[in-house]
Amino acid sequence: MMTKFKKFVQSPGLSSFLASVASIGIGLIFGYLLLAFLNPSMSFYGLGKILFAGASSAEKFSKVLYQAAPLIMTGLAVGFAFKTGLFNIGASGQYTMGAFFALYAGIILKMPWWTALLAAMLGGMIWGAFPGVCKALFNVNEVITSIMFNWIGLFVVNLSMSNIPQMLDRISANRTVNLAAANKSAIIPKWGLDKLFGSPYMNISILITASVAVIIFIVLNKTTFGYELKACGYNRNASIYAGINAKRNIVLSMVISGGLAGIGGGIYYLSGTAQFLVIKSLLNMGFNGIPVALLATSNPVGIIFSSLFISYIQVGGEAMQPQFSPEIINIIISVIIYLSAFSMLLKGLINRILTHQNARREKERVLHSSAGNSGEGIVTDAAISNKSESEGVTK
Amino acid sequence: MIILADIMSATVIFAIPLLVVALGGMFSERSGTINIALEGIMIVGALFSCLYLVSADKSGFGAVHPLLAMFIAILVAGLAGIIFSLFLALASVSLKADQTIGGTALNMFAPAFAIVLTWAIQGQGQTTINIPTWVRITQDTFGFTASTNPNFLETFIFKNLYLTTPVVLVLLALSIFIIYKTKFGLRLRACGEHPQAADSVGINVYVLRYIGVAISGLLGGIGGLAFTIAAGSGFQSTVAGYGFFALAVMIFGNWKPLRIFGAALFFALFKVIGSYSGSIPFIPSFSGIKSADYIYQMLPYVVTMLVLVFTSRKSRAPKAEGIPYDKSTR
Amino acid sequence: MSDYVVEMLNITKIFPGIKANDDITLQLKKGEVHALLGENGAGKSTLMSVLFGLYQPEQGTIKINGKPVKINNPNDANALNIGMVHQHFMLVEVFSVLDNIILGVEPNTAGVLKRKEAREKIVDLSKRYGLSVEPDAIIEDISVGMQQRVEILKMLYKNNEILIFDEPTAVLTPQEIKELMQIMRDLTAEGKSILFITHKLNEIIEVADRCTVLRKGKYVGTVDVADTTREELSRMMVGRDIHFTIDKKDVTPGKVVFTAENVTVPSKHHKNNAVKGISFDVRAGEIVCLAGIEGNGQSELVYALTGIEKVSSGKMTLEGMDITKASIRKRSKLGISHIPEDRHKYGLVLEYSLANNLVLQRYWEPEFQNAGFIRTAKVLDYANLLIKQYDVRSGQGAATIVRSMSGGNQQKAIIAREIDKNPELLVAIQPTRGLDVGAIEYIHSQLIAQRDSGKAVLLVSLELDEVMNVSDRILVMYEGEIVGEFDPQTTTVEEIGLYMAGAKRNTPRTITAVSATLKK
Repeated sequence: MMTKFKKFVQSPGLSSFLASVASIGIGLIFGYLLLAFLNPSMSFYGLGKILFAGASSAEKFSKVLYQAAPLIMTGLAVGFAFKTGLFNIGASGQYTMGAFFALYAGIILKMPWWTALLAAMLGGMIWGAFPGVCKALFNVNEVITSIMFNWIGLFVVNLSMSNIPQMLDRISANRTVNLAAANKSAIIPKWGLDKLFGSPYMNISILITASVAVIIFIVLNKTTFGYELKACGYNRNASIYAGINAKRNIVLSMVISGGLAGIGGGIYYLSGTAQFLVIKSLLNMGFNGIPVALLATSNPVGIIFSSLFISYIQVGGEAMQPQFSPEIINIIISVIIYLSAFSMLLKGLINRILTHQNARREKERVLHSSAGNSGEGIVTDAAISNKSESEGVTK
Repeated sequence: MIILADIMSATVIFAIPLLVVALGGMFSERSGTINIALEGIMIVGALFSCLYLVSADKSGFGAVHPLLAMFIAILVAGLAGIIFSLFLALASVSLKADQTIGGTALNMFAPAFAIVLTWAIQGQGQTTINIPTWVRITQDTFGFTASTNPNFLETFIFKNLYLTTPVVLVLLALSIFIIYKTKFGLRLRACGEHPQAADSVGINVYVLRYIGVAISGLLGGIGGLAFTIAAGSGFQSTVAGYGFFALAVMIFGNWKPLRIFGAALFFALFKVIGSYSGSIPFIPSFSGIKSADYIYQMLPYVVTMLVLVFTSRKSRAPKAEGIPYDKSTR
Repeated sequence: MSDYVVEMLNITKIFPGIKANDDITLQLKKGEVHALLGENGAGKSTLMSVLFGLYQPEQGTIKINGKPVKINNPNDANALNIGMVHQHFMLVEVFSVLDNIILGVEPNTAGVLKRKEAREKIVDLSKRYGLSVEPDAIIEDISVGMQQRVEILKMLYKNNEILIFDEPTAVLTPQEIKELMQIMRDLTAEGKSILFITHKLNEIIEVADRCTVLRKGKYVGTVDVADTTREELSRMMVGRDIHFTIDKKDVTPGKVVFTAENVTVPSKHHKNNAVKGISFDVRAGEIVCLAGIEGNGQSELVYALTGIEKVSSGKMTLEGMDITKASIRKRSKLGISHIPEDRHKYGLVLEYSLANNLVLQRYWEPEFQNAGFIRTAKVLDYANLLIKQYDVRSGQGAATIVRSMSGGNQQKAIIAREIDKNPELLVAIQPTRGLDVGAIEYIHSQLIAQRDSGKAVLLVSLELDEVMNVSDRILVMYEGEIVGEFDPQTTTVEEIGLYMAGAKRNTPRTITAVSATLKK
């Protein structure tokens, strides 16, 4: 019984989870300090909104769920790419493309919602292919390509929308037409959830996206395809040696990642309650996928929870207005991400607290033992990596 | 003809931020750290220097001593950039974290912080910081009045003249000298190519990498101010992707200062062509298409991609960049 | 005591879980060449790293010229005139020879480099010690021999008196080794004192005055080289008598398993071809060894053989089938197994579990997957089977993340995986690099077992002992061509060395004739 508990306590999963929780805690504390600095008298009010607004009413809570859905998708997009060794900072562009394809399918082609979602996926896949191909065939860093294509995507979509007047609202020509008016079948169904939660925002998007997350989890961990993708991400050379086509996998990985982000765009804009704006700045939803993925260490199931968390505090952030700017939430999120850089340090610290390990005590033991070595005769790689963990971090 | 001077002048003013930020990226990468946070650094540099400019304007100091005030603003931008970049250095060099994590966090933090701070100082909803007009250098500074019909040279020099331009050009010359002709430059490059070799001759790789990142903070901060000036509509908590653009310029320039200068001019030109598309006779005007200027706005990004695609094969990045240095893995 | 220029007394250095140096004492006399002998992992490099300031000992004292000192970093070591040439050169490849030599001790005025001054000093030193170099050449363009001379000049430029050489001959041809021995003698004649780490007995006998032997982190003894023998040294080194030859069954090679005809492979680093029209074959029941100094085309040839690189012309067949254009996966399926030269880079996915690595070459087979879904239970069973059969040791068995396993066990895992495929052709590149004697013996026995059971083995090795003991036929490669074919029973290391260095070569006609004789 004790050994089972000890094993659980020593498992890397637990210390990862606790490290994430610690990052979140510290991030929130930092946020509170910032609130206190800006407006001391209202700081508790602000903190209260952040912590509790999301759960304060059914309507607010359904907003949390409804906003988490596209976030899950962009989080999956970034996380999937991370798992396969790539940094997809282009989720924003792929999301935008997905939204455009979805709206085009819905408004112009009068397709039903699920077809429009597939169109969204297609749009994202196409847009994800570009950075993938550039990296695989031309060795261009995927971060820069993705950034460039974020902007190119924005302009392409804006240009296209401006030239397809049927997509635009009659009155305010910089937003898309109301979906209810254009094509009701394109709106994502509610299946009674709106009555259940008492909010017009609620639909099945959260269910769709959570299912996709589970599917991605299975693909990554239980299939040969996932095995190959991860091998490529961890060690491109070794995977080539194993007969895996690394170039093909890089492209596939970015295409899938793009597709996931694209679905996100479709999910959000096919809800019937949001209208796509033709503006000059990049959509944030794609970038918010990054902290979602990092917090969950790219685990698809974990991403469901980190999306809910981030969406939750975002709702809190909006509720803080007008006393505080909702941008404070982004500050909190960025602090949390930054802290995940400390995660190795945090993990080691937590591990040591949990298991009463002490590097010095270990050294003493070895120093005074008569049989010094493990009989292997070589300074093991394990010894070296252990050394770097205990010595390197304090440099 | 005057149009040409106009275009050239605009190209220079847009090239300057690209140049200085790309140089910053070069110092960082040459020492071994990939600096993805240039975007955030630019914003922070711009934020604090613009706040200073506004306060110098309010106190009247700026109107009386514009060049001095501008110089101080540049220093403020650089200093803010250095401090901000140290967070990246902490995460990447000391904690040996993935260099993209620290960078992404800083890039998210900067615009959010800028908006919050601007709100706090200027009042709710006022998120633009307007730059006072005296920052622009006019003919008056040199003692003669602007002509009503300026010729080519006068247009080229004075249409968009700000102190940041000559300062950045001086920094370019300094960079070339420092990288290739000084003891510091030699050691910095060694840290980015073969940190174990540098360590084995007693060089402190960690300190040098910190300095490399700090220099990128200095140059990036100044670049943020330069960008805001070039953009012309005040500070709006964004630098429109220039931080990443500068990385592309750096790669295209093969991490060499003079080539980076050329690359910066090249890309700035494309950006400018878009804005002047109406006035340039031989460029298609896409009369049938609505909002055709989106095509031109896309142009610099598309050109960047094409250039990267064709040059990335031969590019020679510093060998040890992106790999955190760990003494025990000798 | 005062004629000891360096004394390391009772040095103990610990890394987590291992005592790398256990109460070791080493004394270096002025003007002597002192060898430090031991197998891989005996603690030689660690001890010298302590002397050079890269590590700090837990216990013990160091005295230089009789005075106790603390050496906290290479700067301190340098201040005490201690210099070190590392096994893996510490040279910045894109810098010139000059820049590499002055790095860390740059002559300057207020930070601005004064290269002219340095150049003069280097040219002077170079003449005095007979170390010819070109100051403006870029490191990545010059030969390994010249690179080593640059490393030596680094030490001389800093007026180092105590010179440490860590396995200096690993990358040199026999001729360059002779030159290095002479340089060492010249240096000691000028009053320098040399410590040189090695596991090669011949070199010790040739150039050292005294030798200290370490085994498993402990001090075994110090002997005068003139008074000792190879046998005594090796006994001190391993603690038992070494068989210098391996027991091999007498097997007559059977049918031809693999042929290469006029294979040409381009080089990535320069315009010439890395492999220039090579032809050879490997038969069932024989071990053919490609010998040669690193960088003469062996790597490229193997990459072409396994499918990682393309050939620009020529043909390769496996059991009669043309595999010249086949994919890596196809060649693997047809019966080629490969133990790569860099196990971390090519052989393993370090973040994966041992089980996942063991099926790396077979995960697509119906046994291990069903409609794209991995059959985890089967994978685990297979992994456990291999672990038991090949004695692969790890912290958590099949679930161990491979990164945490020792080098020897990682290599065993690769060997288990590749041999269990029962390949017609087993290609092994430097399979024993960096391993201790026990692991080396084990791996050799596996290679020979393959051969004895009638399979073909192609071995690429830089260790002449291994080449002579293990192979049935030796093909020497030099500058992309096969310049000689030998029977280990009828040739000597010196002779092979000459061919490896390009000093001698056989015409293709001679090679075919020799081949024919060997195959009778």
